[in-house]
Amino acid sequence: MSQINQKSGSQSIGQRRWKKFKTIKRGYYSLILLSIMYGLSFLLPILVNDKALIVRYNGQYSFPAFTSLVASFPLIDQFVSVFQSGESLGQKGNPGQARYRDLQQQYEQENGDNFIVMPLYPYGPIEDITTDGNTAFMEPWTASDGEGPRIMGTDENGRDVFARMAYGFKVSISFALILVFLEYLIGIPIGGLLGFKSGWYDLIGQRIIEMWATLPILFLIIIVVSFIQPSFILLVLLLALTAWIPITTYIRAEFYREKSKDYVAAAISIGVPTWKIMFKHILPNSLVPIITNFPFAVVAGITSLVALDFLGFGLPPPTPSWGQMLSSGLQNLTKWWLVFSPMFALFVTLIMIVFIGEAIREAFDPKTFSRLR
Amino acid sequence: MLQYFIRRLLFAVPTFFGCTIIVFFIVNLAPGGPYEQQVQALKAGSGFGIGSESSAASKDGAATIPPTALAELKRYYGFDKPVYVRYLIWLGLWPRETDSYNVKLGEPRNVGQGQYLIVEKTANGTYSIIDKDSKQSVNGVWTAENSVLDSTGITQLRVFKTEYAGILTGHFGNSYEYREPVIDLIASRIPISLQFGVIGLVLSYVICVYLGIQKALRHGSTFDLISSSSILISYSIPGWALGLLLLVLLGGGSFFDVFPLGGLQSREYETLTLGEKILDRAHHFVLPVIASTIQSFATLTLLMKNSLLENLSQDYIRTAFAKGLKEKRIIWLHAMRNSVIPIAANIGHIIGIAFVGSFFIETTFNIEGIGKLSYYAILSRDYTVVFAFTVIGVMVNLFGAIISDFVLAMIDPRIRFR
Repeated sequence: MSQINQKSGSQSIGQRRWKKFKTIKRGYYSLILLSIMYGLSFLLPILVNDKALIVRYNGQYSFPAFTSLVASFPLIDQFVSVFQSGESLGQKGNPGQARYRDLQQQYEQENGDNFIVMPLYPYGPIEDITTDGNTAFMEPWTASDGEGPRIMGTDENGRDVFARMAYGFKVSISFALILVFLEYLIGIPIGGLLGFKSGWYDLIGQRIIEMWATLPILFLIIIVVSFIQPSFILLVLLLALTAWIPITTYIRAEFYREKSKDYVAAAISIGVPTWKIMFKHILPNSLVPIITNFPFAVVAGITSLVALDFLGFGLPPPTPSWGQMLSSGLQNLTKWWLVFSPMFALFVTLIMIVFIGEAIREAFDPKTFSRLR
Repeated sequence: MLQYFIRRLLFAVPTFFGCTIIVFFIVNLAPGGPYEQQVQALKAGSGFGIGSESSAASKDGAATIPPTALAELKRYYGFDKPVYVRYLIWLGLWPRETDSYNVKLGEPRNVGQGQYLIVEKTANGTYSIIDKDSKQSVNGVWTAENSVLDSTGITQLRVFKTEYAGILTGHFGNSYEYREPVIDLIASRIPISLQFGVIGLVLSYVICVYLGIQKALRHGSTFDLISSSSILISYSIPGWALGLLLLVLLGGGSFFDVFPLGGLQSREYETLTLGEKILDRAHHFVLPVIASTIQSFATLTLLMKNSLLENLSQDYIRTAFAKGLKEKRIIWLHAMRNSVIPIAANIGHIIGIAFVGSFFIETTFNIEGIGKLSYYAILSRDYTVVFAFTVIGVMVNLFGAIISDFVLAMIDPRIRFR
C-alpha cells in the first residue's frame, strides 16, 4: 500500500491531470495559441488601427494609437478622448478626425521633419465610406492609391473586413468569458443548494427552474433592444438570465452524490455551518463537471452572441462583430469574402476551444478502456 | 415505477401553468404591443381614412383618432381588461367576449345572420335584450354592458356574446398578422419542418450509429483519430453558419452552382412528374439538411462510440469471448443491445424537432417553416402565435423529458425510477 502511495503520491491529482492534458497535443497547443491570441487582442489598437502609432508634426509628438489603446478599456474610455482634428496636424480642410494614412503620404511628399508611423495593419474596424479612400466591396488583397493592401477587402460600408474580424475576436471571447462567469456565479450556488438540501427543496426548486427556463429570452432581448440602446453588459445580463440553468444540473448531481459521503457527515456533526460545508468542503470535490464544461460553455456563449448579432439584435451597429459580418454576407452572397472571413475566424476559434475542451475532458477522465480482441 | 411517472405527470401540470404565466405576463406587459403598434399605424395616417386630411392634423395624431375607435381597438386586442383576466380568458377559464356590437337604447341592431336585437332598460337599471322578430328575451345568450371610454367619459352601450374558449378548450385564437386561426397557420407549416426534421434525424442516426460502432471497434486507429477530428470540427460550427458557407460555395453566388439558393422547390415544380418532383425536393433539401444535422453528429457519434466501448470492456463480454463465441455475434448481439440504450433514450427529444424547427436554418435557406413563423411572430408582436408556440415549446420540453425517461425504463430493465 505504502509503495503505491509513494508512486502516485508524489504528484497531486491536479498535477497528474495537467500532465495528461499536456500529452494531448492539439488541445495543449490550442490552449497556448488561443491564450496568446486573446492576450494580443488587447493590444489590437496598436496593431490594427487607422490611428497612427507616432505622429511628429512641427516638432510635437503625439501617440493617437496608444490613446485609443487606453480608451479601449471599459470605464477609462469615459476620460480619454481619441479625437485629434485633421487641421491641427496640417490636414487642410479637415476639421474632423485626422486621416493618418493620408497624412503619412502628405508628410512624405512634403519631405520635411514631420513623419507618421502607422500600426502594422493601418485600417480600423469602424472607419467607413465617409473616410476618403474607403470604398465599399473592395476585393481581398486590393488597395486604394498609395495604401497597403486590404487583406480581406471591405464590406458594404467600406469598412475593413480584416480589422473587423480581428476586433470581433476580442469582443466574442470577452463576451463569452463574462457570460460563463455569470452563469457559474448564479448556477453553482443554486445547483449546490438544490443538491445539498434535496427533498422538497429540490423538487420545488427544480419546478421553478423549469418555469424560469421558458423565459422567452429572444423576445425579451428584442423588446429591450427596441427601447434601450443595447450594450455589451446589457446583452450579457439578458443572456445570463437563463444560461445558468444547465450548470445547476451538473452541480446538483455532484452535490447530491457528495453530501452522502463521510466527510460531510463529519463536518455536520461538529457543527460546521451549511454554507461552509457547501463551499469549502463539497464544492472543491465537485469541480470536475464545471471545469470540463467550461470550454463548451464558452463555445455556447460565442455562438449565441454571433446568432444575436446575425439577427440584428446584438451589439450596437458600429461594434465589430462576427454575427453582423455574417448577416451582411447573407445579404451580399456574391461577395464571398464577407462570409468567408468571419466564418474562418469563427471556425478556427471554436475548433480550438473544442480541442481544449476535449483534452480537458480526457485529462479528467479516469476511465481507460481495456478490452479483449 | 408507475407511481413515479404519475407523479412526474402531476408535477407537469403546475409547471405548465407556471411557464405559461411567466411568458404571458412578460409578453403582455412588454411595451409596444399590437395595440400600440396599431395606434401608431393609425397616427401615421394609414388605413383610417384620415390620410386625406391635412398633414398638420396627422402630426397632432392622437386628436384625429376618435376615442371610440381607440376603445374599439383596445377591446379587439383584449387590452381593455387587466392582464390576469386576459390570462384566464386565454386559458379558457373566463368568458371570452365575441360578436361585440355597439347599440343604442331601443333601436334595433343587426347582429348578423338576419338577427336584430333591441336593448331596453328595465326598471331596476339592468338591460333586457329582446330578439326583434321572435320578441323573446335573449338575455341568456347576449349580454349588454355600458362601458365608459377611458379618456372622454362618453358611455357606450354594447351587446356581446360570451363563451369559454381558450387553450384548454383547444382554442388558440386568430393570428393578428395573418388573420387566420393559429392552429391552421401552424398546421400548414408543420409538414415542411417535419420533412426536414425526419430526414435529418434518420440520416444522422443511421450515419452516427454506424460511425460510432466503427470508431469503437477501431479505437485508437488512424480512422478513429481522423474521424474524431472531423467530428469535433463539425461540432464547433453552428449549423446555420455552415449553411451560409455552403450557400456561398455551392449556391452559385461566387463559386459553384450546384445547389439552389434556398426555398423548398423550383418554380416549375407543379409541372414536373412525380419522379422529378422527388428529385427536385431532394436537390433543395441537401444543404439545409446538412446544416441542420451537422451539430448533432458529434454528440451522437461519440455517445455511440463511448457506450459501445464501455460495454466491450465489461465482464460479460470477456465471458462471451472466453466461451468461444464468434466476435461478430458478441459485438452485434451482446454488446450492441446494451450500447444503443443511451441513444434510444433520446427519443423524447425527437418529437420536439418537428415542432420547434430552426429559424436560423429556415432564415438562411429561405424556407417557410415553423421556426420562421415563430420568429416573425415575435418580431411583429403576433401574440396569439407567440403564445401558441410557448404552449408547444413547454409541452415538448415537459413531455419530451418524461417520454425519454419512460422509454429508458422500458428498454433497460435495470433502470428503476423511484
